[in-house]
Amino acid sequence: MMQMKTQTEKKVVTGDYAAAHGALLARPKLIAAYPITPQTFIVEHMSEFIADGKLDADYMAVESEHSAMSACIAAEATGVRTYTATSSQGLALMHETLFVAAGLHLPIVMPVVNRTLAAPIGIWCEHNDTMPQRDTGWLQVYCEDNQEVLDMVIQAYKIAEDERVLLPIMVNLDAFILSHTVEPVDLLDQKMVDAFLPPYKPKHAYLDPSDPMVVGSFAPPEYIMEARYQTEMSMQAAREVIGEVTEEFADKFGRDYGGLIDTYRMDDAEVALMTLGTVTGTARDVVDSFRANGKKVGLIKLRFFRPFPARELIEATKGLKALGVYDRAISFGSGGPSWIETRHALYGHTDIPVTGFLAGLGGRDVTPENVGMMFDSLLGLAKGQGMPHVSWIGTRGVEP
Amino acid sequence: MAAQALAAAAFREGNHALAFPFFGAERRGAPVLAFARVDSKKIRQRTQVYKPDYVVVLDDKLMGYVDVTAGLKEGGTLVVNSPLPPEKIVTERPVKCATVDATGVALEVLGVPVTNSAILGAFAKATGQIKLESVEKGIMDIFGARLGEKGGRKNADAARKAFEKTTAGMSVGGRKFKPVKKWLPDYKELPLSLGLRVTMTEAGRVGPGSFDVNKTGSWRTFAPVLDDAKCTNCLICWFYCPDGAVVRGEKHVSVNYDYCKGCGVCVEVCAPKALKWVRTEEVEEKLPSEAIA
Repeated sequence: MMQMKTQTEKKVVTGDYAAAHGALLARPKLIAAYPITPQTFIVEHMSEFIADGKLDADYMAVESEHSAMSACIAAEATGVRTYTATSSQGLALMHETLFVAAGLHLPIVMPVVNRTLAAPIGIWCEHNDTMPQRDTGWLQVYCEDNQEVLDMVIQAYKIAEDERVLLPIMVNLDAFILSHTVEPVDLLDQKMVDAFLPPYKPKHAYLDPSDPMVVGSFAPPEYIMEARYQTEMSMQAAREVIGEVTEEFADKFGRDYGGLIDTYRMDDAEVALMTLGTVTGTARDVVDSFRANGKKVGLIKLRFFRPFPARELIEATKGLKALGVYDRAISFGSGGPSWIETRHALYGHTDIPVTGFLAGLGGRDVTPENVGMMFDSLLGLAKGQGMPHVSWIGTRGVEP
Repeated sequence: MAAQALAAAAFREGNHALAFPFFGAERRGAPVLAFARVDSKKIRQRTQVYKPDYVVVLDDKLMGYVDVTAGLKEGGTLVVNSPLPPEKIVTERPVKCATVDATGVALEVLGVPVTNSAILGAFAKATGQIKLESVEKGIMDIFGARLGEKGGRKNADAARKAFEKTTAGMSVGGRKFKPVKKWLPDYKELPLSLGLRVTMTEAGRVGPGSFDVNKTGSWRTFAPVLDDAKCTNCLICWFYCPDGAVVRGEKHVSVNYDYCKGCGVCVEVCAPKALKWVRTEEVEEKLPSEAIA
């Protein structure tokens, strides 16, 4: 990462606070949200900002997540920037309206604190809340630390509101491992954010009584194929926009997140692990210790799951002898979602083995030893030792 | 919040710091774990801490059934909230130990038995790893943000007072612990749909009625003590007790100390003032509680 260009205020805050502070700086006009552990602090902070006069916005206390998203959709269609946040079962309850937000091309920004879905019921980290929403037309980015959460909320508005994109976006943060963890975060300067993120001025869907418009009308089969194609084109266009926004943010704020993916010590790497979310930080330390022992391992950080970075992965995996893909969710009957999509993306471009690792489901701690075991397997795989397509790490009764 | 304030304090001294809690879906007063890491460079690892340099115990009753020194590094320090001097603290092996009556300090300075700010003063004194001034600033950053300037200041005062009262020494070794047993079935043994009937496992009973053996009375800091003669058996306390820990009787109620968590609602609602509010340490031996075995 580059050096900071400006000296702004750093504070020790939680990931939830970082998600809320990012929204504060983006000046949304409507917040509609329903509290759910471990997202609750986010909406509490938002209502505090309004009560303290720090944010000029309406806060709608709704009766469910379905209503929260519905309210954001309606408000966004009147031409204002909106904000909500959820987690787990709350996101599942929103499912239906997620399609509406994307189909109407409303650039809503929503942090999701990744939490396991019942049953069995739990409150800890798993990506089985957001992964099933991958086909709704929302962009998805997964964060590694609290700074990235704050920076991505601001970049998310910029990406989503770009006229080439106009799609909603989820900014994902791991339950407790980020949401309730404090660490120093640069809270950014409001004037600099204002210059980076101008006010939202939509043209495509803007309900104005003096210039009436119908939005989201009934569509017989003659229209839906084209509408779906538009959404796909928007998602494809997002690739370029994400690159541009990453560069502009790096230029203005001094932190370069790499775009759709980030890489770590991939030069001359023989094997690599791909991670998403907070396991990435732990894996960086493990890569350093393997490298210190002369083992040529590298790390790919999957940042955006939608759009999926196929081209970037083809490029990043050139020269590797084996690739491992870590997932914190499983698509039952197949494997981890990132593993499935990575194999799909690399098909026809590489002959190397691509194996999947599952760890940390339901919030189980993913230790450096767990990650080390993944690298050891990959080094063996590169030498031709066999291993299963998908390995369950740290699961009692299952050979890893 | 103690771990968060410690992280804020370390950041104030120019370090990178990271702190996080680990708790079950339980209530206030239940035993919780929190972790803090401090380094001169950015901390990337986000796993729990298994081999700490320092262990801080806010509730010394936990030391009766958890070996708090189990992961403590050789030469590491244990900081305990206890009115006893370090040489009266019995641990599995002798370790560097510092004690302070943080509950006493908290009651005196804050008026409530919340010890998470006071204990940080003891940490600063015992470890020498952080200045008291930084701890106070860290407390202002975290507690002040929640409780306002005045509330933050009070908590910083509690830390200062605890700093002054902390004594350092060595604990005494020799406490024996039953090997920690936890029911950890593999995937073949785990009942489908987690459907449990009353089941005995190597770690005790699970399933319906497991609270019959899993007693939760040790969570309390205060206990309600009844003056039988004053009790009119009006049953208001029985009605309000959120945990069914008030038991009806022929002439008067009684308190089930195996489960009473000391929330104080019964004392608050008792019309004839028959219930008194007493710090648990002062009455413990008189209470028929087994707490958690």
